[in-house]
Amino acid sequence: MNNSNRSNIFSRFLHEIRRVIYIMLDEYRIILKDSGLVVVFLGATLIYPILYSSIYRNETIYDMPIAVIDESRSGESRELVRRLAAPPALRVTYQLNNLEEVKEPFYKQKIHGVIHIPKDYSGKIHRNEQATVSIYCDMSSFLYYRAMMLGANLGILETGKDIQIERINAAGITGRSAEISTAPFRYEKNILFNESMGFASFLLPAVLVLVIHQTLFFGITMLTGSLREEKLAIIDPHFRQKGKYFPVIFGKALTYLTIYIVINAYILLAIPRIFHLPHIGNPWDIIRFFTPFLLSVIFFSMLISVFIRNRETSMIIFPFFSVVLLFLSGISWPQSNMPWFWKIFSMLFPSTFGIQGYFKINTMGAALDQVRFEYIALWIQTAFYFVTTIFAYKLVTRTRGRS
Amino acid sequence: MSKSIIEQTRNVARREWKRMLSHPIYLLAPIFAMLFSYLFFLTMMSEGFPMRLPIGIVDSDNSSMSRTLERNIDASPQMEIVGRYASFTEARKEMQKGRIYAIVDIPPGFQADLLANRQPSLSFYVNDAYLVAGSLSYKELTYISELISGFILQQSLQAKGGTGEENLMPILQPIAIETHQIGNPYTNYSVYLSNVLLPGVLQLLIIMFTIYAIGVEMKQNTTREWLATGNESIMAALTGKVLPHTLLFTLLGLIGLFLLYGVMGFPMNGSIVWLSLAMFLFVVSHQSIGIFIIGLFQRLRDSISLGVFYGLLSFSFAGFTFPIEAMPHGAHIFAWFFPIRYFFKIYVNEALHGAEIRYSLIYFAGMMAFLLLPILIYNRLKHTILTDEREEIKNSIFNEQLQ
Repeated sequence: MNNSNRSNIFSRFLHEIRRVIYIMLDEYRIILKDSGLVVVFLGATLIYPILYSSIYRNETIYDMPIAVIDESRSGESRELVRRLAAPPALRVTYQLNNLEEVKEPFYKQKIHGVIHIPKDYSGKIHRNEQATVSIYCDMSSFLYYRAMMLGANLGILETGKDIQIERINAAGITGRSAEISTAPFRYEKNILFNESMGFASFLLPAVLVLVIHQTLFFGITMLTGSLREEKLAIIDPHFRQKGKYFPVIFGKALTYLTIYIVINAYILLAIPRIFHLPHIGNPWDIIRFFTPFLLSVIFFSMLISVFIRNRETSMIIFPFFSVVLLFLSGISWPQSNMPWFWKIFSMLFPSTFGIQGYFKINTMGAALDQVRFEYIALWIQTAFYFVTTIFAYKLVTRTRGRS
Repeated sequence: MSKSIIEQTRNVARREWKRMLSHPIYLLAPIFAMLFSYLFFLTMMSEGFPMRLPIGIVDSDNSSMSRTLERNIDASPQMEIVGRYASFTEARKEMQKGRIYAIVDIPPGFQADLLANRQPSLSFYVNDAYLVAGSLSYKELTYISELISGFILQQSLQAKGGTGEENLMPILQPIAIETHQIGNPYTNYSVYLSNVLLPGVLQLLIIMFTIYAIGVEMKQNTTREWLATGNESIMAALTGKVLPHTLLFTLLGLIGLFLLYGVMGFPMNGSIVWLSLAMFLFVVSHQSIGIFIIGLFQRLRDSISLGVFYGLLSFSFAGFTFPIEAMPHGAHIFAWFFPIRYFFKIYVNEALHGAEIRYSLIYFAGMMAFLLLPILIYNRLKHTILTDEREEIKNSIFNEQLQ
């Protein structure tokens, strides 16, 4: 009695497993037969990481063209110009006589900075007065501004230090104590985790996670919309057998999970190594962290797909949201400075925690327990979206069944 | 003849307008998406310049000097010390968790060494994985250190006597730097980003909804009816089709300009009229791109994939975050094929630089060139519209069950 009961449960369990596998294979078949879905799941995930890594691979701007207006025309001013042109950031492409002349190349956006050394520059240095140098920055891009600040400021500060030592000598402090006077203490500036202050090293990790998030979202909503559109199913054809939610949801989720484990390894582990992006994280931690990430994205997308009636709907309306998600993740505009309502809003989306977690593990070398907050948040999202997906499926099949 | 064309166009436009009203999502989705984006980006970065960035300090000296340093850092409006740590290792762990963007490490014996003229050194560690927060902390910490060492130098000079107040500045800072940040004097990040991100969102919506407006006729097999409304004139059918969208998107674009320059008070050193004209061209050039894509593929689903791809790349090839010149040479040429690039140039000339219009004419011409695109695929599109071929239902295995 007891024995047969147990074997009964066992055979039922086996039956359910078989159903899950059947649904999973069926889902695979749907995807592979649909060129549009193949493009999203396999094409986009393959191309986007390579494309973005290539575009941004130079990390920063070198030899930014600038103009110099040297009205002083002295040994001192020429020395200053020589120093400014030295750093790899800047290149003097125009030597002009006055500010009027600079308009033409500046308005044509051929130069992105101007250094103006006034007539009285060398005179003031000789008379032990404070000289002034003006710099003009093109503010159309943050990188132009930064190149100018790093390049020009540094050159001017350095020159200033030399003059400072001469003047201190004149004030009666000489030798080692003069050096100590100008710099009573030294400060070492260390840049961590993105030593070159590079743009690709900063942006790409976020883009990579976003590619996974968005292709899954568009793929799943597109597939569901397609099935519905062809009037074959309310959400999914398998629902014609009423009440069988779990095998269907598990089966479908398993399909995406298995596809994306491979894609994840390519995007999150291989791409940073191929394109020399930061990758100091433990690969095993990345794999473990991205398990709840994938699951939460899958269930989130399945939930949204319940409301999608047509194949194209999500791809027409939501592409702009990729940019919104990028900013919600808090890697560009700092999370600490985000208005509270957007911070709360950001918690609805797996991408927020996925991007932050990947940043911390992959770029900054955090261990899994240091991203516990994100890790737990992703599991909560997984549970939340799983349960809401079931309810939404139930609701929709019931209301549609009636009508 | 010409009068009848106008009438035909009006008929098609009226039909399109009715379609939009009868499918509210078709009308409301772009409006909602665009207004949401305005609200999102403008409130997200409303602070303009990130203030009170959280940083940590490791004070192993615990002297009055190190506390003075701490107070100076905390007094900076840009930074806030949120954590004090016993060791650098501990602080670094907090940094990996993303809680602090910088660490100031003061070694033991700092004050004693300073007083004994042994030139001690302190260290900064800046997390440049978060490029914005990292770069800002870097700049601010350098500035504060220079300020403090200048203060110490000033005291030692005054202690030595013979250096009057008026002689101090030429020694402390022999060369003063006057920085002119053209068009964005407060380094407002929202000015950098929102000015181009928001048109970026707009172009994505324009392309997608243009593709959809035409593609859905093909998909639903209504091209004949559409053409009949235009009295068999392809010209009238196409113009009438996109006209209501032109009005809608131009209106949305102008609302954006009003929000940016009217409500937010972003710099506008040129003419809002020219920028508004650029906005109109921006709308119609992207509509032309939409028509071109659907004409090329003749099928809604494929066109949408390409539309998303192109629309997302626009953000990169505008060149506002990462300059085009810094990209690999092979990528430079692609920037020519994105109207947003020309719009960005016009915006820089008008809003930031206040350059005369003659510097922007070439970019206006660039955007107008895109209006020729529909002509290139005119015949192909005509063929598609005339052929009464239903887009076959395919791919799904459930197809077989239908037959």
